[in-house]
Amino acid sequence: MKAIMRKYSLLGTLIVITVLAALLPVIGAPKTWLLYLFYFYVFLAAANMWNLLAGFSGLLALCPAAFIGLGGYTMTILTWWGIQYYIGIIVGGVVAALFAMLISMSVFRMKGVYFAIGTLVLPAILKLVFLRWKPVGGDFEGGGAGYMVKGVRAIPPEVTYWLALGIGLASMVLILIILRSKFGLGLAAIRDNDISAASSGINVFGLKLSSFIIAALVMGVVGGIFYMNNGYIEPNNAFDINWLMIVLLATVIGGKGLEWGPLFGTVIVVALRFQLARYAGISLLIQGLILVVIMLVAPQGIVGLIRDLRKKFMNQQNKKLPSSS
Amino acid sequence: MELLSNLASPIVIGILMGGLYVVIALGLSLVFGVMKVINVAHGDLVIFGSYMAYAALTTLGLNPLWWILPSLPLFFILGYLIEKYLLNRAAKISPDAALIIAFGLALIVQNASQIIWTPQTRSLITDFTMTTFKVGRVYIPLVYVLDFVAALVVMVVVRQFLQRTYLGQAITAASQDRQTAELMGINPSRVYQVAFGIAMALASIAGIFYGLTFSFYPSSGPALLIIAFGVIILGGLGSMVGTFIGGMIFGLSQTLGGYFFGPTGQLLVPFLMVLLVLTIRPQGLFGR
Repeated sequence: MKAIMRKYSLLGTLIVITVLAALLPVIGAPKTWLLYLFYFYVFLAAANMWNLLAGFSGLLALCPAAFIGLGGYTMTILTWWGIQYYIGIIVGGVVAALFAMLISMSVFRMKGVYFAIGTLVLPAILKLVFLRWKPVGGDFEGGGAGYMVKGVRAIPPEVTYWLALGIGLASMVLILIILRSKFGLGLAAIRDNDISAASSGINVFGLKLSSFIIAALVMGVVGGIFYMNNGYIEPNNAFDINWLMIVLLATVIGGKGLEWGPLFGTVIVVALRFQLARYAGISLLIQGLILVVIMLVAPQGIVGLIRDLRKKFMNQQNKKLPSSS
Repeated sequence: MELLSNLASPIVIGILMGGLYVVIALGLSLVFGVMKVINVAHGDLVIFGSYMAYAALTTLGLNPLWWILPSLPLFFILGYLIEKYLLNRAAKISPDAALIIAFGLALIVQNASQIIWTPQTRSLITDFTMTTFKVGRVYIPLVYVLDFVAALVVMVVVRQFLQRTYLGQAITAASQDRQTAELMGINPSRVYQVAFGIAMALASIAGIFYGLTFSFYPSSGPALLIIAFGVIILGGLGSMVGTFIGGMIFGLSQTLGGYFFGPTGQLLVPFLMVLLVLTIRPQGLFGR
């Protein structure tokens, strides 16, 4: 009974929080709250996917901007062709996943540091491509000038909010399901020792590639939703190294390789971003300091720190019990 | 014949500019070779070097070339301390930790520069900034020649240091085989601290020459990091001569790419080459 309760209490809490969050725009919550929450959901989804790559699959992929930017651009260009934004968002995810498949032929031949460097170059290349390539529009649009998202005014703000909530929730559920499946067990085995995992019959390459493509798909959708809300996309922003900074900060501050890590980390990243929005430089400076301190003091992030403290506390309790009785 | 004479200018400029890239990449290459850490803060540290020279130029009126002398020990000490108190501890936690700390360092350096010097574009303007001279039909700016000379001098000095001095040999030994080096009585942490200090001093030189050649702003760093990576990958990680040739190839493909494919081709061509080399020969053209 207790086990069943525990199993469903997580699901129950998740459903209750989601319903409450979804009702916020209907009951007239302040617009700034909704904006903070929008950023929170979007960053959470991206950070969860980066955690899947760097935390669980051992792929230090430094290219989230490539997937997010591609998703955003696909959605924007499709609106110019008169295709609805919600189709564009899904197609954006598919394009990012296809790009991941294509590029994996090259980057998956690299190991460790080389993989990190190879993926770091990808957003830089895409930025240059989109600075030059003008798939739609006249002389004054595209390239460095960027594109407006067509028909963005017609989209009610609640819809944008719900889409972001949807992708944030979906990424969280996806992570929880993956980690409780055979796929997740395989990833854990690879993370701990990929040679012994391979000799136990785990398809190391296949699993890594699958998580790379899943992450690209979700990040592509994230890009579509983010730039739909933005209403405007240009290469220097879409393929910026800032995207990497956001997901890395959120994941590492919260706890890399821990399922709830990005959730906690994203709260801090979004809070710092908005509390210190007026002092852009200082906000990032503080985030950099937090990153360094967290890494030195608690390499497992906040969630890891809480877990360790709880263990310590429990141990002390256990020690006390026999002596008092 | 027409094409050849038109190509003379991009070829000469490309090779000279490659010299600047060599100086930028050397520090990164040294840190990777010795410590096996990708110092992602390298680009931002180079730009920090440019800003320090800018501060010396605007407040003291000091010529950036003279600023090299005080800036070398200053950056060496800074690097020594960063290694001792940050990276050294990180390396004990996990290999990824050092990379993430370097990311934090990049954020700190970049935004500190932005707070101190504002996001405005700056450049190191001296009396020889606009000087050019003509060789045949090619106009060559003096600063590009200075970049190339600096690359040669830095290469020779670093190479001599690594081969001739005890400390240099210790660094080479530690980078080849850490455990054996330890058995030979070399203190690896000390070697790492010195190596990182040298890498920082190299970053300050790179920053000064970058500032003399191009204008810079606080967020120029990441782009420089990617260029430095490109140079190292083309030449081969940890290989000194490879880095030099990698710089030349990168500079040449940039100017020739710009000549044939317009402004966006400038970086697109070398980046695609980097990706191609990584795919076919991950250890670089001259790596083992």
